[in-house]
Amino acid sequence: MNISYNWLSQYVDIPFSPEDLVEKLTMAGIEVESISKTNIIPDLVIVAEILERNPHPDADKLSVCKVWTGKEELQIVCGAPNCNKGLKTALAQIGTEFIDSKTDKKLKIKKSKLRGTESYGMLCSSVELGIDGGDHSGIMELPDNSPVGRSLNEIYKSDTVYELEITSNRPDWLSFIGIAREIKALSSHPIKFPQINLPYIQSDKDYTDLIEILDYDLCPRYSGRIIRDVTVKDSPSWLKERLLSIGLRPINNIVDITNFVLFELGQPLHVFDLDELSENRVIVRRAKDKEKIIVLDGKEYILSKDQLVIADALKPVALAGVMGGEQSGVTEKTVNILIESAYFNPANIRNTSRDLNLSSDSSHRFERGIDAEMIKVASDRTASLILELAGGRLCSELIDIKDGSLIPKPKIVECYFDNIRSILGINISNQEIITIFNSLDLKVSDISLNKCFVAATSFRLDVEREADLAEEVLRIYGLSRIPLVEVKALPGGSIKKDAYVQIAKGRDDLISLGLTECINYSMADKKVILKDDNFKESDLHEVINPISVESSVMRPSLFFGILKVISRNISHNNQDLKIFEIGKVYSANPELQEERYSCCIAMTGRKHAERFSAEKNEVYDFYDLKGLIESWIGMRKLAPVKFIKSDNSLFKPGFVADIIIRGKKVGTFGEICSQFTKGIRIKNPLYVAVIEFEQIIKMKTGQVKYQPISLFPATTRDVSVVADESMENSVIINCIEKAKCKLLEKVEILDIYRDDSLGHGKKSIAYTLTFRNKFKTLTDKEVNSAHEMIRNKLAKELPIELR
Amino acid sequence: MLRKEFVTMCSTFQEKLSNIITEAEGLLKTASNLKEIDEVRIKTIGRKGAITEISKELGRLPSNEKPAAGKALNMAKKKMTELLSNFTELLESSDHTNSKDVLDISLPGRKWSVGKKHPITQTIDDCIDIFRRIGFIVASGPDIETVYHCFDALNAPVDHPSRSESDTFYFSDGRLLRTQTSTVQIRVMENQEPPIRIIAPGPCFRPDNPDASHSANFHQLEGLYINKNVSLAELKSTLLYFAKELLGDDVKIRFRPHYFPFTEPSLEYDFSCTSCAGKGCRLCKNSGWLEISGAGMVDPSVLEAVGYDPKIWSGFAWGMGIERIAMIRHGINDIRYFYDNDLRFLKQF
Repeated sequence: MNISYNWLSQYVDIPFSPEDLVEKLTMAGIEVESISKTNIIPDLVIVAEILERNPHPDADKLSVCKVWTGKEELQIVCGAPNCNKGLKTALAQIGTEFIDSKTDKKLKIKKSKLRGTESYGMLCSSVELGIDGGDHSGIMELPDNSPVGRSLNEIYKSDTVYELEITSNRPDWLSFIGIAREIKALSSHPIKFPQINLPYIQSDKDYTDLIEILDYDLCPRYSGRIIRDVTVKDSPSWLKERLLSIGLRPINNIVDITNFVLFELGQPLHVFDLDELSENRVIVRRAKDKEKIIVLDGKEYILSKDQLVIADALKPVALAGVMGGEQSGVTEKTVNILIESAYFNPANIRNTSRDLNLSSDSSHRFERGIDAEMIKVASDRTASLILELAGGRLCSELIDIKDGSLIPKPKIVECYFDNIRSILGINISNQEIITIFNSLDLKVSDISLNKCFVAATSFRLDVEREADLAEEVLRIYGLSRIPLVEVKALPGGSIKKDAYVQIAKGRDDLISLGLTECINYSMADKKVILKDDNFKESDLHEVINPISVESSVMRPSLFFGILKVISRNISHNNQDLKIFEIGKVYSANPELQEERYSCCIAMTGRKHAERFSAEKNEVYDFYDLKGLIESWIGMRKLAPVKFIKSDNSLFKPGFVADIIIRGKKVGTFGEICSQFTKGIRIKNPLYVAVIEFEQIIKMKTGQVKYQPISLFPATTRDVSVVADESMENSVIINCIEKAKCKLLEKVEILDIYRDDSLGHGKKSIAYTLTFRNKFKTLTDKEVNSAHEMIRNKLAKELPIELR
Repeated sequence: MLRKEFVTMCSTFQEKLSNIITEAEGLLKTASNLKEIDEVRIKTIGRKGAITEISKELGRLPSNEKPAAGKALNMAKKKMTELLSNFTELLESSDHTNSKDVLDISLPGRKWSVGKKHPITQTIDDCIDIFRRIGFIVASGPDIETVYHCFDALNAPVDHPSRSESDTFYFSDGRLLRTQTSTVQIRVMENQEPPIRIIAPGPCFRPDNPDASHSANFHQLEGLYINKNVSLAELKSTLLYFAKELLGDDVKIRFRPHYFPFTEPSLEYDFSCTSCAGKGCRLCKNSGWLEISGAGMVDPSVLEAVGYDPKIWSGFAWGMGIERIAMIRHGINDIRYFYDNDLRFLKQF
C-alpha cells in the first residue's frame, strides 16, 4: 500500500520529518519498501499568464509568447501546442535549477536564442516539474484563479510517498487512519478524524426492502443508502491529487470518493447505479452454478456456488467484496445511486479472489478482515463527500442488515505485568505498560498490583492473548531498547544425538581425498531418470505443481545431478573432474526408506592436469575410483570390504562392481555406460560410484583396539606366477592365504606383466610376501620354508606356472 | 702357557679393536654418501658389528686384565662414534661446498589436488560450529512433510497464502515439500521433553522461478531454545553473538517487529552492512542494514500443539537463509551460482 506524507498529515500532526518517518514506521513493524519524493518544484518556478502568442518567424512548431510574471513582460519561445493567449501556466524563470531525476545532473535555465529568437525562461509541463499524474502533451494548464507571480511550490506542495508492506495480521494498517493511529501511539499526538456532516434525510419512500441477505454466513452485514440526483463529473483537483499521489487513476467524482474513503478509513465501498438494478434492490446470495458476470475489468467470469454475489432481482450485479459489475457501475449518465458498505466473510473472499485470479483493493482488505465498526462511519463519510462534490439528495437512512453473531468480536485479555517483563526481558513498570496499551486504544480495566484486563478494539482482532500484548508493549517500548544479556553455553543434549556429525565426517573425508563437493537440486526430470533401468515410475515421488518438467520428481539417485554438473563443466572446457555429492534421495517404493542419504562420486579426465611431463597425461581409471572408495571406507574403519561383480545397467558390462561391507551391499561403481554420456563432449571414460551413504553412517565403527607393534624385523620374498588372463588376482591371493602360513604377515601385488614370450592370453603376476614372527627374529631357514610352502600350495591348487 | 695365552688373547683383543678402527677409518675416508657411512656404523658398532661381536670376548679374559680391556673397548666405541660423527659432518658440509648438480627450483611442484567444500556447506558448517559452542545440537527432519508439521502445528491460519499451491509444492497424497526448516521445531518437540536447544540446517523448497535472488531449492537454518523463563533479550544476545562470530566483532544487530504465525512477538533481524559498516551502500540499499531473517518468541499455540504447557515453558526460535548469508560473506550476487556447480566457482572457496 502506498501512503503520502501530506495526505497522512491530514489525520495526525506528524512530529517526524519525511525521512525520519521511514525509521519510525519500520521500527513499529510497518516495512517501508520504497520511498519517493514528488512535486519537487524549484522556487523560481512561478505562475505566469500568456498575454500574446505569435508564430516563430523561422520554425513552424515554435511560438513566441509574451508572458506576464506579475512584475514584467517577458518574451518566451515555446514548443507546446497549448501555449494559448490567456493561459495561466508554470514559468521557470532565468536561473531556475532543475535536477534531472534520471541522471541527478543539474540543469540551469538561461537566457537563450531559439532559432534566432531570444527567450527569457521556459514554460513547463507538469512532467517536467515532477507533478503526480502529469502529462507531457503540453505546458501546465493552471486554474484561471491562480495568482500570477506566486511560486508554484506554494500551490503544489512537495510530498513523500511510501510503499508499505503490511503484514497479514494487521489489516487495520491498510488505511491512512490506521497508520495515523500508529503515529498517535508513537507521538501521543491526537487523531484528527474527518468531519462528517450528513444533512437532513429527504426520504422519498420506504427502503426497508432495499437489501436482502440470503447467505448470512458469507455476508453477516450489508448496509446501503440511497442518494438521488447526483452529478457525475470530474473530481476537484484536491481529490485527484490525493489519489494520484498514491498511484490511483482518477475516474469520476463518485468512484474517486469511494476509493478515497477506502484508503482513508480502510472500508471498501461500492456504488451502484440504482436505475440499473432490476426492481431497484439488491440480494446478497451465493452465485448459481455457472452463473456469469462481467465485472469492471471488462472480463466475464463464470461463477460457482461457493462464490458470493450481489444480485438484483434478476442477475448478479457485483462479485461481492471483489469487484463491481460492469453494467451496474457508475457512469456519466448515473443519477441515482446506492452506496454499499458491508462485511464479507474473509475466507470466502480469499477463495473467490484466488479461484478467479482476480484481486482488488477491496478483496485485499475483506480477505484480511475489516473493522466492522467502520461500516457505518465509512458509509456516512462517503455520502457526505458525494453530497458535497456531486450534489444530490440523501434519500434514506442507513439500511443496515446484519447478524452480529457472525462477526468476530474483540477479546478481553488477562495480562500479568510480570509475564510481559519476563517474555521481553526488560524492566518496565506497570504504569508504563498501561500507558502503552492506552496509546494503542486498548482499553485497560481492573488494574491490580500484578495484573490488568485489556480489551481489544474492533480493528485489533489480532490481540487475543498475553503474548500479543507483549508484542504491543515491545513495539511501542522499542526493540532497540531490548537489553543484551550474557550468552551462556547450555548443553542441548548428547553429541551422539547430533544429526550432523556422521554426515559431516563422511563428506569431510571425501574432501580430504581431493574431491570437490557439489550441491544439486533435489528435484529432477522424470524422463531422464527413467532412462536408468534401476528406477520405475512407481518409485518416484512426483510433485503435483512443479515449476517445470525438468524438476517434477524427487530425485531417486544423485547420479543425474552429478551428470549435469559434468556436462556443464565440460561445456566450459573442463574435462578433468573429481567431484561428489552427499544428499538425500527419495523413493516412493514402500520397501525402501522414503528419504535417505546417498553419495555419488564421479571422476573423469586427467589425474594431474596441473603437473608436467608424463604425469600430465595420466587419466583416471577403474582402479583410481576403487582405491578412492577403499581409502574412504578405510578412514571410517569399516572392514571387511569386498568387491563383487555387478550387472548394474547404469555401467558398462564387465567394468562394474558392487561394494560389500560386512556382508551388506552398500553401493556400486564402475565406468558409466556410454548411452548416458551421449550429447556430452566427454573425452575420457566416466567413473562413478553410487553409494548408500545412509547405510554406511549407520554402521558402528566401535572403539579402536591398539595392536602391539612387533620389535622383530620382517623379511620379504617374492613369488611370481604365469597364469591365463582370466585368472583373477583374488583367486591367487585367496590361495596364498589358504596356505595358512602363520609367519605370513601380508601379501602385496608387485607387478603384472604381459609379453609375447609368456604366450598369447597369458600374464605374469608377481607378489611380495612379508614374513614376520612377532616374538623373535626369523632365520633364513624359517623364511625359506614358509616361502616354499606357499609356492607349493599355488602350484598344486591353481592352473599356474611358478617362475 | 696359560699365561702366554692370556697375553696373546689380551694383545689380540686390543689389536683387534685397533685393526677394526683402522679399517673402518679407511672405509669412512672413501665414503661418498651418508648411506656408506651408515654401513660402516652397522659393520662396527651395529647390533652385529665387529666391535659389538668382540665385546662378547671380554668375559673370557682373566679378571686382572678385564679392566684394561674394558677401558679399551669403551675407548674404541667412543672413537668409532666420534669418527662416524666427524665423517658425517664432513660429508654434509661438503654437500654445501662441492655439489655441482642443481635443481631448477622454478619448475612447478607436483600439486596434490585439494578438495573443496561447497560454499553452502561451508556456511552451514560455520554456523553449526558457532551455535554448538553455546550448546545447540543439530536436529533434523524429513523434506517430504505433512501439512500438519509445516503449517497446522506452526499455527499458520487454514487459509494462509503460504499454504497455496503457488507457494508450496504438494504431492498427490496431500503431503508437501517443507517450505521452511521450522518443521523440525515440531518434529523435535513432539519427541522430546523440554528443555530443548537445537539448530536444524537443511534444504527447503518453494515454487519460485529461478532468478538472481530466488531458487526453488534453498537452505535454511532453524534454531529453537525452550526452557523456563526464556526472554527476548536472550534471543537478541544469542543472535548478536552469532553475528559477531560469523562476521566480526563490529557487527551490530537490529530487530524490527514483524509477523509470523508461529512466533509472538515476531520480529525480523538485520545485521549492520558488512560492506559499508552501516554507512549505506548498494549491498544494503543505502539502509546500512542487511535483512537476514525472522525470529521471535515461540507462539503459545505452537507449544500447546506439541503438548508443552505455555505457562511453564517459553522459548525463542529463529530462521536464517544459508544462501543469503553465504552471498553476504562472499559477495555473491546471484543465487544460481550455488546450484550450477561450475568448478571455476566451487574452487574459489
